[in-house]
Amino acid sequence: MVIKKGFPVAPAIAIGAADAGVEIDQLSKWFAVDKHRVQALDRVSLTVKDGEFLTLLGPSGCGKSTLLRMLAGLDVPDEGDVAVYGVRVERPSLSRGIVFQDHRLLPWLTVRENIVLSLHKSGLSPQEQDARVSELIALVGLTGFDNAKPYQLSGGMSQRAAIARALAPRPRILLLDEPLGALDSLTRTRLQNELVRLWEAERITVVMVTHDVEEAVYLSSRVVVMEPRPGRIQSIIDIDLPRPRKRTDVRLVTLREQILTSLE
Amino acid sequence: MAAQQPILTPSAWRPLVVPLLLVAAWLAYSLVRDAGDSATFTSPNAFAIAVAKDTASGFLPGAIVATLARAIAGFLIGAGAGLTVGLAIGLWRPVDRLLSPTIDSARQVALFAWIPLLSAWLGNGEAMKVSLISLGAFFPVALATAVACANVSRHYLEVGQVLELSRRQEVSKIILPAAAPAIVAGLELGLNIAWLGTIGAEYLIGTGYINGMGDGLGAYLAQAREYARMDRILIGVIALALVGLALDRFVSWSSRKVFPWHRQ
Repeated sequence: MVIKKGFPVAPAIAIGAADAGVEIDQLSKWFAVDKHRVQALDRVSLTVKDGEFLTLLGPSGCGKSTLLRMLAGLDVPDEGDVAVYGVRVERPSLSRGIVFQDHRLLPWLTVRENIVLSLHKSGLSPQEQDARVSELIALVGLTGFDNAKPYQLSGGMSQRAAIARALAPRPRILLLDEPLGALDSLTRTRLQNELVRLWEAERITVVMVTHDVEEAVYLSSRVVVMEPRPGRIQSIIDIDLPRPRKRTDVRLVTLREQILTSLE
Repeated sequence: MAAQQPILTPSAWRPLVVPLLLVAAWLAYSLVRDAGDSATFTSPNAFAIAVAKDTASGFLPGAIVATLARAIAGFLIGAGAGLTVGLAIGLWRPVDRLLSPTIDSARQVALFAWIPLLSAWLGNGEAMKVSLISLGAFFPVALATAVACANVSRHYLEVGQVLELSRRQEVSKIILPAAAPAIVAGLELGLNIAWLGTIGAEYLIGTGYINGMGDGLGAYLAQAREYARMDRILIGVIALALVGLALDRFVSWSSRKVFPWHRQ
């Protein structure tokens, strides 16, 4: 077996369930708000399968973003454990790509420079890094904008560049924190289709946070519905519909109605 | 051929309205007023003659050059020290605890209140003047640099964490570029205070006698006052305003060139 030099490689067999990408076990988190301790998450347990497109859906305050930040390693749980591909999450890692709602491209760097920054631990030569960046720029449809600065890009284009930055080091899992939340509805629809295409092309596990029910049912293999005060899982809905899906598919519309009703 | 652009667009001539009105009022007043008392009034005519004379003799250009050279020398020393100390405070917590309280106290001392101390140690010569100007530039630059480095948006710092940047990369790729516009604003303020401090130093730190144009515009003004020469007082004030404005415009023009994303 040839292992590409330097890329983060997970163990061949994950600890625990063989197909477990993410294992969240009895996870709780509190925040201090005005000297009060507010529980953001209450004993949440969840398993995300390898290669799955899973959505965390819920109203604001349900702890979905907090949960995602703990998968990324940007926050640490007060109780419980998080493991990704058998490795306990303790700090952020390039093996777990993350895209935020605001694109967070560094404004002083070009698109190309922003993406190449995520390859500093890849072990690739400068030429190989350049080739990898070009490949990604093409993959997200930004060819020709290599040397643009973020302030010259539209919101949708910035988010494409942010996705390319997260994908460049070949992570096994992509974490998306309301990545389309700030976009207009036309751009949003287009990027939803792009996300499905990227997920299929890269054969990657995706965990996405959203509060848009239609987006969740259209994109996901499974939807985890969460409720607030304290944040916990209300229900998990399998969406085993074939792809490509149609937004107007009556089964999707029914699922959407069901979820909306359950959230009322 | 493109449509002919009027050379004097409203936005081009509007800033000149107030100065021209002032000159017109001055002209009108000088026509109705008795000439003679040169201690309180000078006519535009006498003013123009004095400008021509002092320019031809080299007295006025020499004074301007001496003042500019002194201001720039003091600014470079003070801003250099301010940048060094500000970076150390902004990037290392222990240095912050060690130096900030002292610097915050010293900063409360008005610039000209340092004169007795500095003249006791350094005499009344060039070393003393340049030290005073440096001190004026030092505080705003050190403060702006420290605050800018310590207050880089958490959003950008999280990008550094997610990309697994080393501390060195975090400083060079994120903290310094993010802090740069605020540091430049501190440099602009430092230059402004150095400029004001230069005039004060030249005016206040008398050498006991007027020894020519090497003493700069401040001494030029002090001498004009000594001999009750209203024409030269006006020349000095206007020269200060114009050179100061030119310096200021030059600095903000160059910072726009260096940080194009900052104004977006």
